[in-house]
Amino acid sequence: MPPREGVYGLLAEFNTPGELVQATKLAYGAGYRRMESYTPYPVEEAAEALHFHKTRVPLICLLGGLMGLTTGALLEIWINVWGYPLNLRAMPLFSWPAFVVPAYEWTILFSGLSTCFGMLALNGLPQLYHPLFNAPNFADGASTDKFFLCLEANDPRFDRLETRKLLESCSPISIVEVQH
Amino acid sequence: MANEHHGADLTLGHTLHATRVLPGVLTAPQVVSTWRTRAAAVAVVFGLFSLVFLFVPLGKEHLLRAYLMGYMTCFNFVGGALAFLMVQYVSGGKWGQILRRPLEAMTRTIWVLILMLVPILLLMKHLYQWAAFPDAVSKLWAYHNGLMTQEQQLTATSKQTMLNPSSAWIQAAIVLGIMALVITLLNRWSVQRDNDPLAGTPASFDRWRVKFENLSGPMILLYVVLMTDFVIVFVKSLDVTWYSTVYGLQFLVAQGYAVLALGILTLILLSRYEPIKTMFRTTEQHDLGKLAFAFVMLNIYLCFAEFLIIWSGNVPDEIPWYLHRIRGGWWVICSLDVICHWVIPFCILLSRDIKRSKAKMIWVCVFMLLARLIDMFWLIEPNFPDAAGNLHITGNIGILAYVTVPIAVVAFWMFFYLNELTKRPLINVNDPHTEELLEPEHAH
Repeated sequence: MPPREGVYGLLAEFNTPGELVQATKLAYGAGYRRMESYTPYPVEEAAEALHFHKTRVPLICLLGGLMGLTTGALLEIWINVWGYPLNLRAMPLFSWPAFVVPAYEWTILFSGLSTCFGMLALNGLPQLYHPLFNAPNFADGASTDKFFLCLEANDPRFDRLETRKLLESCSPISIVEVQH
Repeated sequence: MANEHHGADLTLGHTLHATRVLPGVLTAPQVVSTWRTRAAAVAVVFGLFSLVFLFVPLGKEHLLRAYLMGYMTCFNFVGGALAFLMVQYVSGGKWGQILRRPLEAMTRTIWVLILMLVPILLLMKHLYQWAAFPDAVSKLWAYHNGLMTQEQQLTATSKQTMLNPSSAWIQAAIVLGIMALVITLLNRWSVQRDNDPLAGTPASFDRWRVKFENLSGPMILLYVVLMTDFVIVFVKSLDVTWYSTVYGLQFLVAQGYAVLALGILTLILLSRYEPIKTMFRTTEQHDLGKLAFAFVMLNIYLCFAEFLIIWSGNVPDEIPWYLHRIRGGWWVICSLDVICHWVIPFCILLSRDIKRSKAKMIWVCVFMLLARLIDMFWLIEPNFPDAAGNLHITGNIGILAYVTVPIAVVAFWMFFYLNELTKRPLINVNDPHTEELLEPEHAH
């Protein structure tokens, strides 16, 4: 569990998505990773600047799929060869062509479920409380016409003075220290 | 408030992106001529080398069979390109716009394809039982002399209306003739579209879009029917006794597989030079990669479904087709086919990074094209009595013709494809997608 008291992060507010993206790139270049941008509509460049695509969801999906494949195949093999061996149409007990389709379905099921729940686990949803709403300018601005970048305090690079200096160099409208 | 929104939106484009403009010269770079010369050199070298097989036991037979394999590979390129061209006219999309001129160049080789069929038509009695014994009497004679099994004799007789030399000529003429007609129209309109005096206006966009759609829509359906007939006559009928309702569709998917691999390869290699350097964005490469992935999956889906149904049924009419292709050493080729045609491309194309990498996709595409050759070999060679369920090289050195001849034939075709590629601008200008291709790309 992350600390529930103290500083959550520094929230910089921008008027334009362009400034937000530049600030994000600057922070990423300076080595910050635990950060997030908040915009009233999707800004693809911001996602790109955050290197948002490098999440672990695909890995979870792959591992889930492999797990499903193994589970399904082993279950079928065990049932047909050892558990309940039945001689059907004089086919061998280990008739792998018949096992392919169910094993494939297991793969899909497991990778689908692990993607869904892995995504939820990684993004922290459902979330009833978020410290950012403690910032007075956030709730209104982020859903209408302002663009926010939050550098979070649990980033190893985070330093109240240094980080503030970095953000100030991007000349935001405001910088708010957000409390948990 | 509303004004502030506008202010925010407008600044995005100016602060972040250097604007890209349509390159002044849209014709193919000089380097395509070099590639064309190389293709010709490969065709000549491998063609000459193949002549060696004229003097080895079973060499002539294998030369002809290998020629059929090379021919069908080229047919798949041309037919698949036509199918894709029509599909992208109906569906729209920037992936289709960037791929359009390479696809058109592939289809314009139809005349070469028609000429290349002539040797097969002239020598068909050496390939097909139904051509060697064209009428009921000769089939009966062949059965009595042990040249046909009874089942082959009876089935071939019952299929004689479709499978006899003159009807093969007629079917080839109809299939390739209609393909040539559609190809000519699509290619002619494509140039007229760019030269439209109203080019660049919504009226012109709509007029051409509707015109292409109206031809492509019905022709997609007709093409699938014609292509199914063609592959039944020239490939499946090598074994007259076997039936599969999914055979045509398998070829269709294989065409998509091969054409996407060749198309992506062409675009990536061209993207080192203008104009494709400016026009080919990672987004479209990614989209094409995803499409290729879908075809990799669809291909194994159809092939495995066919196998599973026949395996489950286990009836003497159908199962020998697989036994001929699994037993007697063929399991090596069969496994290689599954591994190279599906397992490896599937695992590689799962990766988003590889689909977006130019350097890596080159090799994936080349590998996929090679995998197509393995698949075609596995489909064709076991049809013949000397090879069915008996893959051997001892005393059968002629089988190596399957290595040299298809390379020569495909390189020969590639020469004409590259030649056609140099004849037109590489980008179709009078299309709203052209402007969209110049827009900055986003992460998906």
